[in-house]
Amino acid sequence: MPEPLLTISNLSIGFKEDLVRDISLEVNSGEIIAVLGPSGIGKTTLVRTIAGLVRPRQGSFELHLPSQGGLGYIPQRLGLVRHASVYHNVNLGARASLPLLKGKREERNERVISAVSALGLKEKIHEPIRRLSGGQLRRVATARALAQRPKLLLADEFLSELDHSTVDVVIEAVQSLIDSGNSIIMVEHHEENVEMIATRIWLIENEQLLDMSIEEWRKRQEEEE
Amino acid sequence: MRKGFIAAIGGLLFLAILVLIDLAGDWGRLGEGFGNLSTFLHESMWPPNWSVLEARSYPVCDREIEFFCSVGYIGMVETIKIAFVATILGFIGALSLSSFAAKNLMPMPIALVFRIVLSAIRSLPSLIWAILFVIVIGVGPLAGVLAMTFYTVGYLGKLQYEAFEGMPSDSLEVSRAMGLSHPTIFTSVVIPETGNHLLSQLMFMFEYNVRHGTVIGLVGAGGIGFYINTYLKLLQYDKVLALLILIFVVVIIIDLISLMIRSFVTDEGDVRQPKWFSFLLKFKKGDESEQ
Repeated sequence: MPEPLLTISNLSIGFKEDLVRDISLEVNSGEIIAVLGPSGIGKTTLVRTIAGLVRPRQGSFELHLPSQGGLGYIPQRLGLVRHASVYHNVNLGARASLPLLKGKREERNERVISAVSALGLKEKIHEPIRRLSGGQLRRVATARALAQRPKLLLADEFLSELDHSTVDVVIEAVQSLIDSGNSIIMVEHHEENVEMIATRIWLIENEQLLDMSIEEWRKRQEEEE
Repeated sequence: MRKGFIAAIGGLLFLAILVLIDLAGDWGRLGEGFGNLSTFLHESMWPPNWSVLEARSYPVCDREIEFFCSVGYIGMVETIKIAFVATILGFIGALSLSSFAAKNLMPMPIALVFRIVLSAIRSLPSLIWAILFVIVIGVGPLAGVLAMTFYTVGYLGKLQYEAFEGMPSDSLEVSRAMGLSHPTIFTSVVIPETGNHLLSQLMFMFEYNVRHGTVIGLVGAGGIGFYINTYLKLLQYDKVLALLILIFVVVIIIDLISLMIRSFVTDEGDVRQPKWFSFLLKFKKGDESEQ
């Protein structure tokens, strides 16, 4: 039985002006939502608003998540600690859901090892972040999210700048999150990536968010062609 | 952009000259002053009297190497000890205050309160702190340590919160969105991201405190300044000059150590640094191509 993770009510987002108006919807566990739309239309602002980093212009949203590490976030610029190792960065994810005070060091360590292994970074685990390539950095940010195991992951273009084989590795690694009934809201530009992973589409156009199933989106694509 | 920058600097320089003219008044005194300075340097200070690096006549030296019983060595070591303790205590005190004073780590009202506290500590020069502590606990190195610690907290606190505010915001935003606690964000995100700046500031402050040991020693707060003050009163300016040269040498050594320590945490290891030779060659090539 899917449980609601996010309830959005009459939400308007933007800065000086509304970018998207009057969004009302619900996100349930196990859903993978791709947020689509042209550049500058408000996709990142929507994700940042749900992450609590931008104030809504109107309306509200409610997260039904555990207070410790229930929400994961991979921003466009990844948000890695540059002067630290891969282990340090991935461990931050584990610490978000298993804080130091709870004394679960072994469990945190296991999570880190399993996350970096799933993303093919085990040999780089003690490398400083600044020595990694762009694609490897994206994988580190994904590993951080995997180690956190959030109920809802917000990912802003986390598959961009990756070659096809690496996209497959990342999607396979993220699949473990999805299989455990967690949800992902991802901003994505590449249709082939959306086809591979998404179960639901939020298409932003003309300051409106259109909520549709993947089948409805495919049909719409065919009609447009 | 470049023209605007040059115009702004030129404007500020012109303004500074106008203010200087207003302040100085009689420029003729400057010429006479240089004459006085030249006489003072040649007749009273030069050459430096290196007897400050020889053993004192009392108490009797019981060490094999005389230098270790000299005024210069004893005073300098005491100054370095005072500066070291004050810098470490001040650094820790400043970190605890500056983490609350940075606008990107704390809500503005809280940050403002801590900024005011740091400004208040900083507004008293270390010399005034030294006078206060000499009055409270008497003459000696402990007054120097406390004076320098307070000043270091105020000074480093400001440098630290400015370094925190200058760090990239994306890693902070992710940490907040993930729900990491404030202490975790500070120790695991902010400190690693600003570590190089903090270390640089720490080393600068240590060097500053060593140099400043001369000033606070003047009011009896211990260190090499105590001996400088004594020689000034006895009009033995050649000995004062020798001690000042000693401080200069120690400051240079600290700067070199600082450079070495910071090379462990900077990105320099990953890139080829320009060598003098290649630097000159590049210029030569450029000149040829221009011709």
